[in-house]
Amino acid sequence: MGQHALAPRGRRVRDRDRALALLFVVPTVGYIAVLIVGPVVLAVAYAVSDVTVADPAFDWAGLANIEAVLADPVFWRSLLNTCVITVATTSLAVAGGNVVARLMLAPVHGRWLVRLCVLMPWVTPVTMSSVAWLWMLDSIYSPLDWAGRQFGLLGDGQSVNWLGRPSTAMASVVAVQAWRLTPLTAVIIMAGLVAIPRNIYEAARIDGAGRWLRTRFMTVPLTAPIVAVAALFCAVFTFGDMAVVRVLTNGGPTHATEVLATLAFRRGIDGGDVGQGAAVALFLLPVLLAATLTILGLVRRMVLR
Amino acid sequence: MPPRPAGRARRRQRLGGVAVHAAAYAVALLGAGPFLWSVITAVKLNRDLYDPAHNPLWFNAPPTADHLVYLWRHTAFATFAWNTLWIGAAVVAVTLLLATPTGYALARLRRPWAGHLGMAIFLCYLVPPSVLFLPLSRLVAAAGLQDSDWALVLVYPTLTVPVSVWLMMGFFGAIPAQVEEQALVDGCTRFAAFRRVALPLAVPGLAAVVVLSFVLCASEYLYAIAFISPTAGKVVSTGIPTELISGDLFYWQSLQGAVVLVAVPIAVVFNLLLKRFIAGFTAGAVTVG
Amino acid sequence: MALAAGCAHEDDDAFGAGVLAGGPAEQFTPPTAKLSGALRILAWSHFVPTYDRWFDGFAGRWADRVGVDVAVDHVDLGQITTRVAAEIYAGRGHDLIQAVAPLPQFEPAVLDLTDLVHEANRRWGSQLELCRRSSFNPATNRYFAYAPGWVPDPGNFRRSMWSKIGLPGGPSSWDELLHGGTEIRRATGVQLGLGMSQELDSNMVGRSLLWSFGSSIQDGEGRVTLDAPEAVDAVEFMTRLYRQAMTDEVFSWIPSSNNQGLVAGRLSYISNSISAWRTAQRSTPAVAADIEFVPALAGPAGAMAAHHLVHNWVIPKYATGAAAGQEFLLHYTANFAAATYSSMLYDLCAWPGRTPELTAWLRRDPFRADPPAKLALLVDAARWSADLGHPGTANAAIGEVAGSFIIPDMFARAARGEVSAAVAVADAAARVRSIYAKWQARGLVA
Repeated sequence: MGQHALAPRGRRVRDRDRALALLFVVPTVGYIAVLIVGPVVLAVAYAVSDVTVADPAFDWAGLANIEAVLADPVFWRSLLNTCVITVATTSLAVAGGNVVARLMLAPVHGRWLVRLCVLMPWVTPVTMSSVAWLWMLDSIYSPLDWAGRQFGLLGDGQSVNWLGRPSTAMASVVAVQAWRLTPLTAVIIMAGLVAIPRNIYEAARIDGAGRWLRTRFMTVPLTAPIVAVAALFCAVFTFGDMAVVRVLTNGGPTHATEVLATLAFRRGIDGGDVGQGAAVALFLLPVLLAATLTILGLVRRMVLR
Repeated sequence: MPPRPAGRARRRQRLGGVAVHAAAYAVALLGAGPFLWSVITAVKLNRDLYDPAHNPLWFNAPPTADHLVYLWRHTAFATFAWNTLWIGAAVVAVTLLLATPTGYALARLRRPWAGHLGMAIFLCYLVPPSVLFLPLSRLVAAAGLQDSDWALVLVYPTLTVPVSVWLMMGFFGAIPAQVEEQALVDGCTRFAAFRRVALPLAVPGLAAVVVLSFVLCASEYLYAIAFISPTAGKVVSTGIPTELISGDLFYWQSLQGAVVLVAVPIAVVFNLLLKRFIAGFTAGAVTVG
Repeated sequence: MALAAGCAHEDDDAFGAGVLAGGPAEQFTPPTAKLSGALRILAWSHFVPTYDRWFDGFAGRWADRVGVDVAVDHVDLGQITTRVAAEIYAGRGHDLIQAVAPLPQFEPAVLDLTDLVHEANRRWGSQLELCRRSSFNPATNRYFAYAPGWVPDPGNFRRSMWSKIGLPGGPSSWDELLHGGTEIRRATGVQLGLGMSQELDSNMVGRSLLWSFGSSIQDGEGRVTLDAPEAVDAVEFMTRLYRQAMTDEVFSWIPSSNNQGLVAGRLSYISNSISAWRTAQRSTPAVAADIEFVPALAGPAGAMAAHHLVHNWVIPKYATGAAAGQEFLLHYTANFAAATYSSMLYDLCAWPGRTPELTAWLRRDPFRADPPAKLALLVDAARWSADLGHPGTANAAIGEVAGSFIIPDMFARAARGEVSAAVAVADAAARVRSIYAKWQARGLVA
């Protein structure tokens, strides 16, 4: 559309667009300002003060909390763990989600049942599904171990002890996160897939494009933004989640599965030192910001190519 | 395109069909397997459950309904479920009202600040609630909502709105711009174009927002602990642990029963929702496109 | 098929209805002043469900007599701190809050209960030292909480297993635990169950071991004393216990794990309250008969065990029902015998005179213990039990040390071989010192 040709009409449209945009945006921004930005500003203030729950007066503590956090090896361990869990979970859930989304759309007998089963891990409140997994991974009663013993993979009375060893504990956390988040990515991707207008495919097929070509040059670029959104959500939900770790391992063994969210809570609320808890929690921000920008950059490149 | 021999194509198709079926059922089992096992656990006798030599995947003693009866009679399970349900529904409604127009505006109305604002809104989600519940507790108390379920209706959109705005931005962005421009050229107002053209096309996205928001609410527990203490106001994710985990003692069977009783109905409803939306959408896409 | 056989039922009256018949009668304590208005109580959700049912009824009956509008809400152990923090920070909420760990960090926001404690002492004699130390802050000379009750943490063992190695009465010292545990493990593969994870039982057993070896987190005056050779000895001992008699299971535990392990016959000894056994009495009576108890294990420097839990009732400054709350607490303490009984001898009173029948109950369990005198060792439990801050008080720094699980972490790092015992102790001591410095700066720790 040329600027000149449509100038009078275009400006009117743009003015109306501006009014509508404000109308559409202002309520949300207002809500967010009051209920999120306000508290976040307070959280930043906690991090540079000596606030406790019982004594909420702000006394400037400078960077003492942040320095204490940076000097703490448990913090670095948690940061690393958080990143590892997030990357592993997101990769699994996005790869899985792509497959599951297509299977949910495939003409399969009993498709509604398949979809139902796939949805269940995600719709269960996370505290409850984690408790169910806690029993699944129990050191004595785990059915996984029982099966292992039946097949001779484990000796009599032996158990893998999933949550007691750093490697398997970490794997368990990732598995539960991926198990509960894959349905989410699948549903988002499925919505993206069905949103591709059929007629584009028809046209391409008539033009002689094979399945691979259609996938590569149509499905991938057309669904890339939505896949990226799914990945982003998955990353964010894993990164900030503390329920799974808190229920399954509470950070153990010896902080091998500690994540920033659990550490912030333990320091700030369980331990009573709100300032330090806030300092830990705020470290989630820059990391997430970096991750978000990376993912978005990738998407832009994918779409433009 | 040269026609392939019909027999080979059919065979390949059939083989492909078998593989797809196998994969789909495997995925279903992966998702629902733990729940099947929960069902079995929920109706086990203590002497069956607490014996490491027993097969945990099947009954070694007759099943019992005692633990489900306990869940029903001795805990306020029905109340918790109802609270989770209506709070979730209310938050979903608020979320749709706030996030859909905002997502549209940011994706379509070409404001220069749209990109930054979108990013800023998303960033809001990145601050974890581990510490945020403290300032919010003051806000809730000041609003006179402490121990009222409306506190959660007020606060939960902080979890759902930022992500939903993003989701809707993605879905509106994916709708070809020409479709709407055609409507504008035909004399529609921008609002009408949004309501009559863009919104129907974004219906699968709305379904995703509904599912996402509801589940985020149902899963949340920190705010629910902090703001609601009476049994009558508790939701599933706080009430069930309070009543079925007494520190040293887990009521494992009742807990597993509760997990299934919560998961299945929500999954059934969402499944219907997804089916309706997807079916409606594919039909719509053919006529509009 | 099993399902076709129809539904079975749990053998016993599994959920304890009617089990409390024959408990002590309630006595009404007339309040000293006319009460009115509302009293909102937030109480923990008790490990023994019969207790909560009794408590709700008890509070309701008192409310009717005194004309106060009482409402009781329950919150589980894992949720208490979150909820209390939210209420205190918001400056609105319940008038009376019960936690089962000391709440010293909330001192600036709660009422000084010195007068209440003095009144209780005047009526019933002096309060148990471990309860006093869990509610009194010498740095400010204030009672930040009222501690009318506590729960001991004896050793639980399987008699059949320890009989086979010639110790039918179970271990009496840490050395016997090490040797007996090792022998049982070698012979049957059954391990000991001393947790080293981020949970309550691990916290408690770690402290018991430290004290029995003559070390402690702080001394009587609240100075940090963790970096001492005795602490290194204790950590080395725990490492030996782990290597010889335990598996990495102990790093993954939640509070219920050691209970389940003991009942399942997978653990020969755990350190815990009596709840594992009480649960087994209902689910597997034969196992319950095989579980017995020992008092704190003796070490080179004596025998001392941490309490399992200690009541901490606080009244926030914002509370409008503060007067009613204090009267209720006196009435509650006066009737502690009923509390002990309805908790099946789980909660013990800080004023032992309030539960005159306790000795008789412990020697002849009213809830079908087999043998009936199984709990007789708890008669002098207060003598071998201590508060979290032993030999000092449970101050805010001690609270944060417990809340961030520094002690189990110290033991676990050495046991897992990540660092030497000396380094584990030094690192833990450094963390503890920085925590002390913070709370000292805030004036809550001397």
